[in-house]
Parts: sequence; C-alpha cells; structure tokens
Amino acid sequence: MGYSAIGEEIRYCMMEGKSNEILSLEALKIGYISGRRKRELLPPVSANAKKGELVAILGRNGIGKSTLLRTIMGLQPALGGRIIIDGRDSARYSRLELARKAGYISTEIVRASNMKVRDLVAIGRFPHTGWTGGNDPEGEAAIASAMERTGMTSFRNRYVSELSDGERQRAMIARALAQETDILIMDEPTAFLDISGRFEMIHLMSRFAREGRTIIFSTHDFNIALNQADKIWLILDTALVEGSPEDLVLSGAFNSLFDPGIVSFNHNDGTFSLRPEKRGKLFVRGEGLIRDWTIKALARAGYTVSDNYSVPYLITPVKEAGKWVIVLDDASYEFDSIYSLAGWLVKTITLLPEILPVIFNK
Amino acid sequence: MSNIEVQYRDKNAALIFSILIILLIVVFFLDIFFGSVTLKASDVLQSLTHQSHSDVETIVMKFRLPKALTALFVGIALSLSGLQMQTIFRNPMAGPYVLGVSSGASFGVAIVILGFSAGITTGNLNSLGNWALVFSAWIGAGAVMVLIMLISSRVHDIFVILVIGLMLSGGISALVSIMQYFSNETMLKSYVIWTMGSLGNLTGSQLNVLIISVTAGMILSLASVKMLNALLLGENYAMSIGLNIKFSRSLIFACTCILAGSVTAFCGPIGFIGIAVPHIARNVFRTSDHFILVPGSMLTGGILMIASDLLSQLPGTGATLPVNSITSLIGIPVVIWVILRSAKKSGIA
Repeated sequence: MGYSAIGEEIRYCMMEGKSNEILSLEALKIGYISGRRKRELLPPVSANAKKGELVAILGRNGIGKSTLLRTIMGLQPALGGRIIIDGRDSARYSRLELARKAGYISTEIVRASNMKVRDLVAIGRFPHTGWTGGNDPEGEAAIASAMERTGMTSFRNRYVSELSDGERQRAMIARALAQETDILIMDEPTAFLDISGRFEMIHLMSRFAREGRTIIFSTHDFNIALNQADKIWLILDTALVEGSPEDLVLSGAFNSLFDPGIVSFNHNDGTFSLRPEKRGKLFVRGEGLIRDWTIKALARAGYTVSDNYSVPYLITPVKEAGKWVIVLDDASYEFDSIYSLAGWLVKTITLLPEILPVIFNK
Repeated sequence: MSNIEVQYRDKNAALIFSILIILLIVVFFLDIFFGSVTLKASDVLQSLTHQSHSDVETIVMKFRLPKALTALFVGIALSLSGLQMQTIFRNPMAGPYVLGVSSGASFGVAIVILGFSAGITTGNLNSLGNWALVFSAWIGAGAVMVLIMLISSRVHDIFVILVIGLMLSGGISALVSIMQYFSNETMLKSYVIWTMGSLGNLTGSQLNVLIISVTAGMILSLASVKMLNALLLGENYAMSIGLNIKFSRSLIFACTCILAGSVTAFCGPIGFIGIAVPHIARNVFRTSDHFILVPGSMLTGGILMIASDLLSQLPGTGATLPVNSITSLIGIPVVIWVILRSAKKSGIA
C-alpha cells in the first residue's frame, strides 16, 4: 500500500514538472544544410527547461552550442525533431510570435554609429510596436525599467560604440528585457568580460531567472555553470546529458570532457585541475587558512597530504609573518613564503624521492 | 524624468527639421532666381502664380522650375537609396554610385538606347519610352544590388566590397564601350549626351515619371523605417526580434533600385550625394533612428542637390559646369572623413 502511494506521489511530481515546462527539445537534429546535403553536428538531442530556470550549456569548442541556440531561436532550420516552446511547436510560431516568447543575445557586436543606448534598448520593443516603431507609454515604461534593472539608466544618452564590453553587454540585456519574453537565449554572455564583469553578468542573469524568466546560456566557464546554474545541458559527442550540476558531478558526466591523464575533476568541490606528476605523500601540521593554501601549493608540486606523522617534516607559520620550516633528520630549512617553499620542494625533493617532509605550525 | 528628456529630444529634432525646411525653401527659390539671367523676385513670384505672360514666365515655368524640381527629387532619391544601402549592407561606404548600382542602371539604359530602340533618342522619347527607360534602369540597378548582396554575405570586409563595387563599375563601363563601338552615330550621340548627366534636359513627361517613381520610393522608405532600425543590429538580431528578413530586404532592395535607377535613367550618373548625405544627416541629428534619418536625409539631400545646381551655374557668370563635378567636390571630403573615422574605430553605418 505504502509502496503504491509513493508511486502516486512520484507521478504527481513529474506532472507538476511537465506543466511548468517552457522549452523542450524532442529528438532535435541540428547542423547545416549545404545544397541538398545535410551535415548533422550531433545525434538527436532531447532536453527541457522550466520557467525561471538558469540553464547553462557546456561542451567543447565547436561541438554545436551556438548552433543549438541559433536553432532554438529559429535563426537556422532544424534538420529534424521538434522544439516545443510554451506548449506549442516552434515551427508553428510566426517570426513575430517567436520574438514575443524568446529574446537572443550572441557575441556578435552591434556596430552602428550615432546609436544611443536608449535607441538600442528601444529596438527591443520591435515585436510590440506599430510600423513607425514608436512606443506607447507602456513601451516607454518597459524601456525605462529594462535600463533601470541593468543599471544602464545613467548611460541612456551614451553612444553604444563608446561603451566598454561589460556596459555594452548590459545594454544588450536591457534590449532583450525590453522585448519582454519568457525565454532569454544567450550565447557566451561572459565571453568578453573580465572576472568582475563575469560575476556582475551572472548576478543579473540569476536575478532575472528568479523573476520567472528562463535563461539558457552557453559558456566555457565551469566555475560559474557549476555554482550558479539550476540545470546544465552538457553536450558530449555522443549525446546531450542534462541535470543539475550536482547530478552531473555525481554521475561522472564531466569526466568524459577531458583527457583523464592530464586533467582531474575534483568531485568534492567541483573544480578541475591539471593532474601533476605524483611525488609522494606529506604530513602537514598546522591549521587555518595558511595550512589550506600551503596544501594547495604542495598539491601543485605533486604531494598529497598524509594523515600519519613522520620525519622529515615541515611547519607552517600560525601568523602571516612567520616562516615555513622543513625539518629533515639532520637539518631544517626555513622559507619566507609559499613561493620559495614550493620552488625548493620541486627542485630538491625530486633528488630525494624517499624523503617525505611534514609541515607543522610553529 | 524620462518624459521630460524624450520631449527635449523631440524638440531638438523638430528644431533641426524646421531649419532644414527653411533652408530647402530658400535654396529652391534661389535656384529659380539665379541662372544665366538673374530674375527679379517680384517677376518670379508673379509668373509662379500665373499673373504675367512675359519671357520671365517662360524661363521660370519651362526651365527654372522643372530644373529645381528635378534637383529636389534627384537629391531625395539618391540620399534615400544611399541611406538604405548603408543600413542593409551595414557598410558606411555603401552608396548607389560607389557600389556600382548607378552603373548597373546606366547599363540598363545603354541597352535601351544603344541596343533595342534605334531611332528614338532621349530628347524625343514619348512617355511609354520613358517608362521603358526607367524600367531598364531599375533592372540594371537591381542586378548589381543582388551581386553586391551575394558578395557581402561571404565577405565582411567593407573595403573589399568597396573595391569590388569599383571593379563592377569598371566592368560595366567596358561593356558599354563595346556596345558603343557597335552602335550607329545617332544612338551614340544621344547616349553620350545622356552620360554627361544633367538636371536640365528632362522633358515634362520625363519629370512626371521621375516624380511618380521617387514619390513611390519615398512612401516605401517611410513605410520601412522600423525594419531599417532592426537591420542596424545585423541580420541575426533583426530576425530574433521578429523581423521577416526576406520580405523586408526585398522591399528595401526594390525601393533602392527604384530610387537610384530612376535618377540615373533621366539624369545620368550623379556621384557622391547618395553616400555623403546619410552621414551628414546622422551627424546633424546625432541619431541612428531611421524615423528621423529617412526624412532628415530627404531634406538634406534635396538641399545639397539644389545647392549643387545653384553652384554649377556659377552665379554672376553665364557659364554652367557639369553638376556631377559639384556633387563630387561636396561629397568626396565627406567620404574621406568617413573612411578615416571608420578605419580608426571600425564603427559601421
């Protein structure tokens, strides 16, 4: 009895999910048509996204992330399968109807002289205006609010050609917001941005997703995708795998992205690192931040941390001004910084492969 | 806050529009007053309102007014076609003359004058012949437009396209020379006179055809302001905001061919107005919005073309220069300025 009740509940949850779905790809084939020949980039892909989700698309260069996004936007034809947007086949939308459902931002830079930020944002109202492109009060309000929410209000009279990369990207987002769509498709939104620009961008994107928009973006930034996305569409050569970042970590899906001999994926914190030459195990005595970062440097030098005390050993300082000390059987060496310690380890210990130094807090 | 600013912006544009309209009226009347004979203002006004039957009326109604009207519509047509080409190709160097569209139109005309209709000359073409002439110019212009479009879809370097446009013009001139070699003397003469380019040789029925065609082009241009704005973003973004790219491109293409073709059919190739005026309009109004740029280019183009005509008559002397040389002298500095600026920061259109 209890068993079947659980079954009911599961079915109920799945139905709940279905009703919330805004975009789903059903055995979609993407690629190019040249002449009568079709060149498919991938096996048919299936995936879906719900309202208010931030979906990151990951995959190696050239696998077809941009092509997939362009196909969803109807900028190039699907070679087979279906794209369901808000319960309706996208093939049955007119271009204008589609533009009221989904907005698009790519890495293509708009170059138009004398175009002010406000003009650019106003063009986003295209699917909602009459033949002159003029805006009613409602449209003006949408433009003002789009600029407000992207922090572009004070830039309204600046020329687009004079903006920095980050400002221009924000102006492009304001344009897409003014379009008032349920879905926002973004091809590498963080591509040109510096680190702070990236976090600012991802912060904006998460905020707009929380407001109920579905944002689907491609990226090469694993860190951002793993930490911020509600869902990942991972494109591999053989298939598209979807799930929460955590699901994909646990299933080992990311391992197939890299050559396991060179790159290792840390299942604990979701980071990738180059797999260093293995030199041995270390006992590290100490505590706090200084110990943690020292261990990181040791790992790069090829040492993993040993749980067992042994000699020779090494000591990490408790305070910043302290010294790192390696204590061998018959001698000890002092270092002012992790940099000099790591340099010494790389240079010296390869000569003495049996020596396993230990680090202490002095 | 935003409303106040919108009003301010509109007021600013409205002020510039008023100044341009006044300027247009002034140069239009100056163009009628000045010529090989300088007329008195009172005589001109009388003849315009049919209150006198003097030589002045003959001069004004038969020569000066048609010529000023021709200059006005030629200026409007070339500027609009230049604006549309710059937006649709996303290329600040686009224009009917530099990209060879005018040459294409000339080729169409050459086929009519040199090839098929022996015996008729531009001077005595009846109105059916005028439409044939215009139509062949449209087709010739359209053929070059399609070629340039195909090339632009593969090559994105604006300077490469510019050079290809020049090559196209050169190739077409070569073809026309060959046709001239094989044609008889009468046809050749009427063709050579046509190529000199003039605003003053149009018959009444030719002026009618020009005005009808250019008016149609103006209406289409005004109807396509929203599409032109979307096309500023490039093809992908334009489609993503809901533009039907095939329809809008065909419409704007047709419009450009009608405008540039009609002018070339009756006045010969007139250079550099089409490329220069849109840049002047953009920088006078400081905007990229075609809702302002389309009427702005029409006014600026009309003013510049009439002013060129005025200058070509060298007020005070009896001499008349070819109008093409005046438009080149006005247009070329603007084009050089645009080249230098876009080479510096690669801002397009």
